[in-house]
Parts: sequence; C-alpha cells; structure tokens
Amino acid sequence: MRSIWLIARREYLEQIRGKAFRVTTILIPVVFGVVMAVAILPSKYWGTGKHIAVAAQDPALAMRVRDQLVADKEAKITVDVVAPATAVDRQKLHDEMDSKQIDGFVWIDAPASGKEQVTYVSRSAGDLTTEDRLQSDVNRALVEQRLVDRGNPSSAVASLTGNVDITTMLYRDGKEVPSSVLSTLFLGYGMAFLLTFSLVMYGMNVGRSVIQEKTSRIFEVMLSTVKSSDMLAGKLIGIGAVGLTQILIWIALGAILLSSALVTSWMAVMAKPQIPVVEIILLCIYFVLGYALYSAFFAGLAATCDTEQELQQYAPLAAVPVWLSFGMFMYILSNPNSIWSVLVSMFPPTAPITMAFRFTAQFPPAWQIALSLALMVLGIYIVLWLSSRLYRVGILMYGKRATLPEMIRWLRYS
Amino acid sequence: MSSVAAPVAAPVKAPVVTLDRISKSYESKVAVQDLSLQIEPGTMFGLLGPNGSGKTSTIRMMIGITMPDSGSVNLFGKPYDRASLTRVGYLPEERGLYKKMKVMEQLIFMGELHGLDPAVAACRAQEWSERMQITEAVQKKTEELSKGMQQKIQFIATLMHDPDLIVMDEPFSGLDPVNASLLQDTLIELKKSGKAILFSTHRMDQVEKMCDAICLIHRGHAVLSGGMREVKSRHERDRVVINFDGDSSFLQHPAVKSFKDYGGQAEIQLHPHADAQALLHAAAASATIYRFELMEPSLEEIFIRTVGEKIDA
Repeated sequence: MRSIWLIARREYLEQIRGKAFRVTTILIPVVFGVVMAVAILPSKYWGTGKHIAVAAQDPALAMRVRDQLVADKEAKITVDVVAPATAVDRQKLHDEMDSKQIDGFVWIDAPASGKEQVTYVSRSAGDLTTEDRLQSDVNRALVEQRLVDRGNPSSAVASLTGNVDITTMLYRDGKEVPSSVLSTLFLGYGMAFLLTFSLVMYGMNVGRSVIQEKTSRIFEVMLSTVKSSDMLAGKLIGIGAVGLTQILIWIALGAILLSSALVTSWMAVMAKPQIPVVEIILLCIYFVLGYALYSAFFAGLAATCDTEQELQQYAPLAAVPVWLSFGMFMYILSNPNSIWSVLVSMFPPTAPITMAFRFTAQFPPAWQIALSLALMVLGIYIVLWLSSRLYRVGILMYGKRATLPEMIRWLRYS
Repeated sequence: MSSVAAPVAAPVKAPVVTLDRISKSYESKVAVQDLSLQIEPGTMFGLLGPNGSGKTSTIRMMIGITMPDSGSVNLFGKPYDRASLTRVGYLPEERGLYKKMKVMEQLIFMGELHGLDPAVAACRAQEWSERMQITEAVQKKTEELSKGMQQKIQFIATLMHDPDLIVMDEPFSGLDPVNASLLQDTLIELKKSGKAILFSTHRMDQVEKMCDAICLIHRGHAVLSGGMREVKSRHERDRVVINFDGDSSFLQHPAVKSFKDYGGQAEIQLHPHADAQALLHAAAASATIYRFELMEPSLEEIFIRTVGEKIDA
C-alpha cells in the first residue's frame, strides 16, 4: 500500500505542477464556451437580413404576408411587394435574382375557387430558417385573409390569430421549477462535454505516462522495488486524482459564474439550470468509474506500444463510445426512459456520458442508477484484469508494438 | 560435576544469492537453462557473457521482476520474497529517471520506495551527492543534466538505501574514464564493507581485475563458473610475450604454435603442454632477452576456448 501511495503522490504532484494542468484547466472551459458560442450565436442570425419579394394577384394578401414577415423583428427581413403579379413580373423577379438584388421570392397563386398554391424560389437551397419562417408567416397571413374574406373585422382577426408564449416548468421532487429546453440542452451538453473531455483526456494521460516511463526505461528500476500491479494502481489513482481536482475546480468556477450578476442578466432569457447536489455527486462517481475504465484500458494498450504515435492509433477505439453517446444526445433528452436510452446508460463505456444526459432530462429511477454503477464496476474489473496482465509483460518489452496474437499470449502468462 | 563448554562455532555467513537450476523460456526461445550460482557476502561477482546470452534474464529472476519456470531463488539465505528487495540495489542496463522531477525529489522518492524515511532519504541523498561530486545538480530537473551526470544519479539511487546486494548491469557503459574510476573505487569500498556486488557485462576486460568470482554464460547455460583464480588456474599459461634484441630464429622453436613478430617484441602462442623454459633457453641463446612473460589467458580467451565462439561485443 505504501508503494501505491508513493507512486500516486508522485504522479499527482508531477501533473498538478505541470504547465499542461494549468493550461487545460483554463483552456477547456474556454474552448467549451467558444464551441457553445459558435453553436448558439450564429443560430440567432441564421436566415436573417434577407431581401425577398412577395408576389400575388391579390394585393391585400401580398401586403398581409409582407406585414407578417416584417413583424418578425429577429428576422430583419426586407420585403418587396409585387401585386397584382403577372407572368412578366415573374421574369422580372428572376432577373432581380440574377443581379442579386433579391435573395428569393414568394409566389402566391390564389384562384377564386380552390386552394392557394405558394412557391418559394430562392438562390440558396439550404436556408431552413427562412423556409420555416415563411411556412408559418405565409400560412398565418392566408388564414387571416380567409377570415377577413369571410366578413370578420380586421381587429377581431388579429386577436383570433395572436400567439401565446409557452412557459416550461420542470416537475422535480414534488415541486415545479422553471426550466427551458435551451437551458436543459445547454446543461446536458455542458456536463457531457466536460465529462467526455476529462475521461478521454485523463485516460490518454495514463497511456502517455506509461509510454513515457517505458521510453525512459524507468520501469526496470521501479520493478526492482515495487510490483507492476502497485505501479499501475498508483498511476491510476494519482492521475485520477488530478482529473478529479480539475473537475472540482471547474464545478467551483461554474458555481461562482452562475451566481454572478453578469450571467444572471445574460441568462434572463432562459431559466437558470438547476443542478441538485445529488447529481453533482453522481457525476463525480461516474467520472471516477469512467476514468478507471478508460484509463485502465489505455494503460494496458500503452504497455503494448513503444511510442505515443502508436498509442494515438488506438484513440479511435475510445472515441467510438463517445460518438455513440453524443449521437444519442437529442434522442435521450426527448426520450429519457425509452429502452434505448436505458440500454446505453447501462453499457459501461457509454454510461457516464449518457447518464449525464438523462440526469438533465429526467432523473432516472434509483435501481437503474444502481445497476448502471454495478455494471461499470464489473466492466472496470474485467478491463483492469486484462490490462494489468498486458501491462505486466508489455512494460518490459521494447522495440516494437505487440501484435494481437502476442497480446493474447501475454494474457496467458502466469 | 564439571561441564565442558562446547566449542563455539564461528558464525557461517549465508550466501547472499543462491540460484539453483533456474530456467526461463519465452515462447520457443530458451533464455536461461538450468543455471546455478552462488554469491557470497563481501565479494564481487561477475556475470559474464555475450549480448543475448541470458544475463539480464538471470538478474530479472534473481530480483523477482520475472519468475523462473523452474528452479529456485534464495536471497539472504531465504527463499525469495519481496520484502528482501529493500536490501537490494539494482542498476539495470536500461536506465531511466523521471525527466521532469528534480534530482533531490527523485532520490528521496527512490529512497522512500526502498523503505527509507523521507528525512533519512534526503540526508543520504545529500551525502551521496557530495561523494559523487554532483551537489550543484541536486536542485535541477533531470532533463537539464548531462548523460554522465544522470548516470551518477542512478548510481546514487541504487546505493543510497545501503543495500547488502548491489546488482549492476553493464555499469560502466557510457561513463568517461574519470567517472568510471570514481564508481570503481566506490564499489571496491562497498565490497570491503561486506556488500555483495554482482556485475553483469559483456565487456569482460572491464571487470576481470575487480571480480572475485565469475559465472560465464553462453546461450542461457553457465559454461564456466567459480573463483576467478580457480577459473584461471584451470587454463594453462600458454601465451608468451617476449621483448628481445637480436636474432629471431627462436620463433621457429618446436614449442611455438603461432606468433606475431613486431620486431623487438613478439607474442607467441605455445603448443599445449609445451615447455616454455626450453623456449626461453633457445631465445636467450640467439638474442638478448629484456622480458619473457608467460601470460595467463584473459577471460575473453578462456570464454572463446570454452565455447569455441567469439564474443559479439
């Protein structure tokens, strides 16, 4: 035990004092912030500032569509009206698109009897936001026009078709607390992002540390005093403690930031995320277990490699469960209790991240959390057993990366 | 009634290391086969042989880094157990230090791993740094030091916990003559203080003068072992170096098997059991002799004679 403690302490102090720790402690939240900003900010400006024309035979309908579109302040859209429109006007609109005076036009055919036909002709194919906006605004304008055509006064029509805002509340622990889809997304994504970063980064750190000791040939000196299993345990504990320290720093910074006036005003538009203490504790447990799983895996693999480049080639193996977890992000948030959501949160490599998603969407039943933790412990035991065997033999093998048959033989060595 | 006191027997010191018919194979390759040896306290023992002959595999089994497939290992008179490793100092051929650690921290860490209290480890590290003349380096990071300096730090890490068995795999490789001599003197002192020292090397000339006993390994087998003098005495003195002035016709004497004549000096290989005295008389009859030395064979020559192969240095 003393050797394990000494090795863990050495690993911890070396990493904590290192420049890499300071840089990543600051850089990862900054990168995360930039990624979120890049994802959120442009989305606010998607499909804005467009210049389009509305062409219809009925000037009143065309004006009504125009009014709807310009009423959307966020869209910052400029609308020309062509009414009553003819085939010649359509050609003119094509010419205006060619000369880039307009981005597109809405053509409304409204026969006296029968359903209106609306076409949007655009210079760009993938502008989903504008299409969405047109879909709702043109439809509402048509409904209003139909109501007016049937003799309803304009003032009554406006009140009939007016929007209502929906306030989202989250029911938790017998109480209703303010919530919003955006804050849930933000929180779920944030927790999973930090968890993933830490798991993969510290898993790779363990691998790198094994390679460095292997290339610096220190193993043989160490093995003349300590057991290889003690070395592995000390390394996993030491580097894991570094990861935990970093996560606690981030949580503390996050708590300070969330309570600051700046964020309060910035987040006024959406409900402030609620993170119960029990979720923070569970996330820390999932980090520790996830870390043990990934780092034991990387330690075993690293012992079979001779250089960091060789180890990098194995990195995609760890990336697969991460991709799988993030691929299911939206699905889990919408269906936190579906069979697929439950299954991926039971599978040890994907459990830490997918459980973070489930926590934000809806807190899972206690038995599912207990089962998922038990399966993780079992997974860690199996990976640790395999890795410690690879590690014990691999650290004394120099010269080339071990092949799969060689690794299988190593597992059989007593 | 008077009783007669039984004579008190002098305490018999147990061998520090006893390997009894140990073997180790990796897949189809036999690394060590039925190897036995014994190292007494206060001796320097040479484990000699070409590269790949099984020296490192033997050492690894001796200190429990790997386990023998068969045979037994005894350390300090008891079957091998990990607790006895605190009494062993091992300098492997593949040396390594933590590059980012400061020298003093590194030495304290190594000392603690060997069971020393941190304060004692710091004190010993300081003493050894002075003895090995590296005091200016102790607060630097290892990566900032020269290779020779790093070697000295490793020697300190090997010796600072005052081990009773010191195992050194190729200890002089990469050392300049001044530092090699410093290490040599240190080891001789340690031997005099009763420590057992094991050298493993393929450079037999380097340890020939220092070792009290040897074991020559070839392809995993011990081909020659015993006390240095005993091993050498088993081989005839059949090589002559002669410095002379005058007629060199004595080189055609029937006792001479082959010779190299450098003009004024000749190296002669005698026939087995040839009479060297007869050659001396013949030489003295035809030339003035300044030196006539019947040389004992070097370890390397003994090795070549024994296995019929050259050492791949």
